[in-house]
Formats: sequence, structure tokens, C-alpha cells
Amino acid sequence: MTRLIDPSLKQLSAMLSEMGDLSIQSVMLAMESYLYGKNTTSQVHRISDEITKKYFQVADLTFEMLLKYQPVADDFRLIRSSIEVSYGFSRFGRYAYDITLVRDLFGDISECDKSWLIEASEKVKTMIKDAVLYFADLDIRKSVSMQQNEDFVDKIYKQRLPMLVNSKDTKCALAEALVLRYLERIGDHAMFMSDAINYIVTGKHKLTKQFLIKETEGVDLNNYESLR
Amino acid sequence: MTTVVGVNSKMPVNTIQDNAVAAEDKTQRDDGGYKMIAENVSVYYDGIQAVKNVTMKFKERSVTALIGPSGCGKTTFLRCLNRMHDMTKNARVDGRILLDGENLYAKDKDPIYHRRKVGMVFQKPNPFPTMSIYDNVAAGLRLNGVRDRKVLDEIVEGSLKMAYLWDEVKDNLKKAAIELSGGQQQRLCIARALAIQPEVLLMDEPASALDPIATQKIEETITELAKEFTVIIVTHNMQQAVRVSDYTAFMYLGDLIEFDETKKIFTQPKNELTAKYVQGQFG
Amino acid sequence: MMTSSQKRAEYRALFKQNVPGRLIVDKIMLGVILACVVTALVPLFSILVEVFKNGLPALSAEFLTQTPGAIGSGDGGIGPAIQGTLIIIGMASLIGVPIGVMGGIFLSEFGNNKLGRLVRFFNDVFMEFPSIVIGIFAFLIIVLVLGHFSIWAGAFALSLIMFPIVTRTTEESLKMVPLTYREAGLALGLKQWVVTFRIVLSAAKSGMLTGILLSVARIGGETAPLIMTILGSSQFFAGFNSPMDALPLRIWRLSLLPYDSAQMQGWGAAVVLIIIILAINIGVRYFFARKGKRGGLFSMMRSGIRR
Repeated sequence: MTRLIDPSLKQLSAMLSEMGDLSIQSVMLAMESYLYGKNTTSQVHRISDEITKKYFQVADLTFEMLLKYQPVADDFRLIRSSIEVSYGFSRFGRYAYDITLVRDLFGDISECDKSWLIEASEKVKTMIKDAVLYFADLDIRKSVSMQQNEDFVDKIYKQRLPMLVNSKDTKCALAEALVLRYLERIGDHAMFMSDAINYIVTGKHKLTKQFLIKETEGVDLNNYESLR
Repeated sequence: MTTVVGVNSKMPVNTIQDNAVAAEDKTQRDDGGYKMIAENVSVYYDGIQAVKNVTMKFKERSVTALIGPSGCGKTTFLRCLNRMHDMTKNARVDGRILLDGENLYAKDKDPIYHRRKVGMVFQKPNPFPTMSIYDNVAAGLRLNGVRDRKVLDEIVEGSLKMAYLWDEVKDNLKKAAIELSGGQQQRLCIARALAIQPEVLLMDEPASALDPIATQKIEETITELAKEFTVIIVTHNMQQAVRVSDYTAFMYLGDLIEFDETKKIFTQPKNELTAKYVQGQFG
Repeated sequence: MMTSSQKRAEYRALFKQNVPGRLIVDKIMLGVILACVVTALVPLFSILVEVFKNGLPALSAEFLTQTPGAIGSGDGGIGPAIQGTLIIIGMASLIGVPIGVMGGIFLSEFGNNKLGRLVRFFNDVFMEFPSIVIGIFAFLIIVLVLGHFSIWAGAFALSLIMFPIVTRTTEESLKMVPLTYREAGLALGLKQWVVTFRIVLSAAKSGMLTGILLSVARIGGETAPLIMTILGSSQFFAGFNSPMDALPLRIWRLSLLPYDSAQMQGWGAAVVLIIIILAINIGVRYFFARKGKRGGLFSMMRSGIRR
């Protein structure tokens, strides 16, 4: 028996998963701009605009559902977190666009030392894919792996920046600093989304490390692949 | 089998967020001990068990909502709390109901004594049809032997004020009670129940026969009353339960499925059946 | 499967379409019903017309207040009979109404068991008893024992006719008071009898009153029991232990006399009896209606003025 709220919930989920796919696309394209020097600016810009449009649509839809259906329990938590999740996706698109602008400003930096960037990019790529998957299947173990990836990206960021201060190649250093900054921000927002999705599953806003450890007892946390 | 997600008075009941909100608008609430405890209560009608071994604890100065689909036993259970089943043929009640520690169902207790401590408001407003507004509110007093006119006047005014009806009727208390609107009649019944100075107020779907504005007034009244009384309300309107109650009990087919703070029941219920019911996934 | 609009059109086609024809049938039925009502009312009105036509000429101050004159003279009146009827109805009510009301309360509030069913059954049987049998019974029990005809015997006999009716109607009226008022009373911590007498009874007042007035009208016209108990007399009230006249008796005696004047006096007595019963009915109703409406009518008027 479909409830009155079910079609709207379906629509909400569909919109959010579209936003997720688009944001992954935009970030991947953005990474190509500094890894391979490709000019993806206009493409990413378009995608980012579309994500932002969907963000406003999601906001309207969630409030309309609150008005009409006064949802409770699972429905309520889903709708509550949708706002933060959709905001996160819109931020991914925005930062992706900002990253492509770095190439426009500084020119092709694909010849610079990209080892740190590559490491950070890999982790961030994993994180945003995890975020989309986590929202889809609500498997709380993803939250653990995301937390670890975020710590890693933070570490890279904090270690690399001082090094760049003393770099001789100003162009590369500045470009790399900017891109790392944006990557770190993408990671932050992915974590915010993870917190919001945690709320859907557990009903609690801030999960402590102890809680996460308890929830994932017996799982090999070092093997990220196994957690997918 | 019952599941009691008990609320222990020693445990900090609210999160920090909740306490901040609570401090603002519920300054007169006091989470003391349990006013009323129902222990292992079962009710049988003609041999069929309508309430199955239910245990619930009601805090002082709180509002507890009983929710559940039709026929789940919530009204039957409510009526145990003031021994209304004594009037019903072929009804048997097992278990204990303690009010301030005294067992209501003890063999030597006359139900009259406890019905004065536990007032009841019914689903359809039922002011006595042949009496005026004043007489209705004073009925419980007069017919229990209170004669002093001054005292009656005082109590009638106080009760009507508490039921948010005084301003609307103070100009003509001699008007026939049945000439009031539905919402006013129900508030009159609340005033009548309050006049005998109860400590606990039972309400059986008090707003279900009323229009939305009258319902709103009743809900406001309940919230005010909860500052002084223990209120237990049966409702089939879940949004009402969310708006008005501090604790919610979900019953199904005579069993108590879950009992917890209202906020928890409606955002993160522990029992899957509860989640299904509150989200409208039943049937 | 939801009905498609095509199916719906099919279903609609099945309904009888003959609207004008059905309107005519409607009117015919209305006509038939009215005819039945008229047929039922015609005898009633013709009786009233007949009685008043024949009886009104007999009415005069003398007629209403004097004792009967010599037989056949046309003098005198039916004063004692009027007095007697009023006294005997009053006394019978004093006995019959309380017993009947208590019986009705018992059956309605506590009568949902074997004993209740038994009592109800006997009550219904008793209600149908021939009044002459009751008269004979009262004759045996009181007149023979005391040795003379008396008002006691008459009042007793009439109360026996009265109380089953009152019991029945009281029970029905009480049963019509919704359960919720009793529950409300109990929930206030009131004792059962307080709830019954102060709340339920006052809510059932008007139904009970109808029943009582019905029974009064019934006994006002009973003749047979009176023949054997108060016998009749030509004097005004002479003590509870003596015979007494009453209108039904007087009408009967007058109608048996061959004189025209007596016949006319008989008609007059009949008119008086009808008027008395009517007056009691209307008077009591008016009194209670005024008391009840006082809250509504007056307050509405007052609030109108205040605005």
C-alpha cells in the first residue's frame, strides 16, 4: 500500500542520486585539469550549475514534504539529512569548478611534481564515491572508512603546505596549494555528509569514535576495499 | 510479552539540546518520582484478553500519550486507571495500579475514593444536559457534599479558568451547558473534572470529535494542565501526540510494544513495529 | 481493480430512468399516507365534535358545582363527580407513580439479569390485565375486608392499573439516556444512586413525564374498577372511608337513565372529563417546558439586548 509520502520520497532519492553522480563526474573532470592539463572548465561549470539547481529543488521538495506529510521516524530522519547531503553535493560541484579555474589562471601544471596531489586526489575520489554509496545503502561501516580517508587527506594537506612555502617554482607551488586546499575542503564536506547519513541510520548527530569502533567490531579496518 | 523501555528517574533523561529548549518553556515542570504505576495489568472481557500484562510508569507533571491502532487496548487500559471497568459487565482486571504508592484495586478500597483523585474526560463531550454551566462544573462538588456557596464559586471560577473557558462564559454561568459549542462543551467537561481537585487527569481522545480550532485550544489546555497535573491521554492522532506529550506508549493487540520519550519514539523508535505504525505503514 | 469510466457509464445506464413516472409515484404515495392519517384522525375528531356538540349546552356554573338533583328533574350538577375524579386520580398517582418510577429505575439500571427479565415479563402481563378483574381484586382485598366501599379501594385499584405503565415508560426513558452521562457521573467519584437519581433521572424527565401523563389519562377514564370500589354517590367528599362519585361513574349512570335531561347531563360530564384530562396534560407540559427553557430562551434574549 503506497503511502501519500512515498512518491515524494522516491523523487527525493532520485534527485539526490542524480546529484551524486553529477558531483562525481565534475570532480573527476576537475582532477583531469591539473593531472593532465585538460581544459574542462566549461564542462565542469555546466555540471556545477546543474547541481546547484537541483540543490534548490531538493530544498523546496523537503519543505513541501514537511508541510504536507508531517513525517516521523525513518522518513523524518531521511528528509532532515537530505538538506545537508544535497548541500554537500553542491559544494563538490563548486569546488570542482574552482579547481578547473586554477588551470585557467596558472596554465598547464601537469609537469609539476604531482605525487602529493595524486595521493590526495585518490583519497578524495574514494571519499566522494563512498559518500554516494553510503547514502544509497546506508551501510554504517562506510562512515569508518570515510573518517580514515579524511584524516589522511588532512595529514597530506598539513604536511605538504610548509614544503610548498619553501618551493622555488612559484607557479607550481601556488597552484598545488590551491588545489590541495580545494581537495581538503571537498574531503571536509564529504565528512559532513557522512555525519548527516549517520543520523539517518542511528538518530544521533555526532558519533563518537568509540561508537564507530563498537559498530564495526571484527571488521578489518585497514583493508579499505573490503569495506565497500 | 511486554517490552518496557523504562524511563528511570535517575538517568539524565534529556540531551543537552533538549534541556536548553526545555528550560525555556517548561520552567515549572518538575521531574519528580512516579505518580502512577500500572503493574502487570491485564483486562479480560468475557474471557478474551484485551490488555496483556502491561506495565507502565507515569511521571508526575507529565503528559503521556497512548497510541496504537483501533482495538489495541489503549482505551481499555486507560479505563483501568480509574476503575471504570467496575461498571462493565463481564470485565475482569488483574494486576496492580498504584497511585502514590497505594493500590487502587486493593480489596478494601472503594473505587469512589480513588475516582476523586483520578479525573476523566471522555471522547464525546458529555456535559450533564439538564444543568447549567455553573451546575455542571459544580456537580462533582455539590453531589459529593460541598455546600458552601462561596467555596463553590471559587472552585468553579478556578476550574473554568484552568480549562480556558472562563472568559467565554463568565457573563452567563446560568446558561444551559448544551447550548455551548462542541469545543466549549469539552472544555466544560475538563473544568468539571478539574473541579474535584484530582491529581491525575485521564483523557480519552478528547479532541477527536472537535473541529481544528477547538482541538488547538484543547491541546493548549493540556499543555498548561501538565504543569500541575499528571495527564494521560489516548489519541489516534499522532501529530497530536508529538505536539502535546512528553512520553508516548505504543500498544498493539493488547501488548505494550514500546514506551519512551515522545521525541525518541517519533524520530528513532527502537521497535520496528512502532516505526511501521507511526509512519503509517500499517494495514 | 478500479471501475473504468466505461464501466461506470454502463452501470449508470442500469438505473431506472423513468424520473417523471417516479415523481408521480412519489406524489401518489404521499397522498396515500395523508389519506391514512386523515382516516385515523376522523374518528377522533368526530368523537370530540359529537361530545362537545351535545355536552356544551349542559355546562353552567350550577352544573359544575351542584350535587345531582332528583332523578329525571334536570336540576343539579356533577360537582361531586368532578371532585371525586380529581381526588381519586391524585391519590392513585401518589401510590402508583413512586412505585412505577422505582420499578422503572430497577429495571433500567439493575435489570440486566434473570430477575430483571422476570419482573419485566410480569409487568407487561399486568399492564394488559382487564381493568374489571383489577376492580374485583380491589373489592375482595379492601372493600370486603373493611366492610364498606371507600376511596382507599378506588385509589388502590387505579394505582394497580397505573404503575405498570409508569414502570414501562420510565424504564424506556432511562434507557434512552446515553451511557456516557452515567460514566461521567461515576468518573466524578459519585455513588451509583446519586448518579441515578440526580443525573440520569433528571435527563429522562420529559420521557417519564409523558408516561405518567399517559397513565393518568388512562385511569381518568376507567369505569369498571370504580364501580366495585368507590361505588359512586350523590354527595361531596365525605371522608376517605366512604364511597365517592367520579366522572366515569356519573357518565355511566346518567347514560342509563331514559330522561333527555339526564342524557344531556351525561354529555356534559363527558365534556368535563375530556377537558380535565387535556388540562392536566397541557398544564404539566407547559410548566416543565417553561422551567427547562428558562435557561435558553431568556439568556438568548438577554444577550441580544446587551449587544
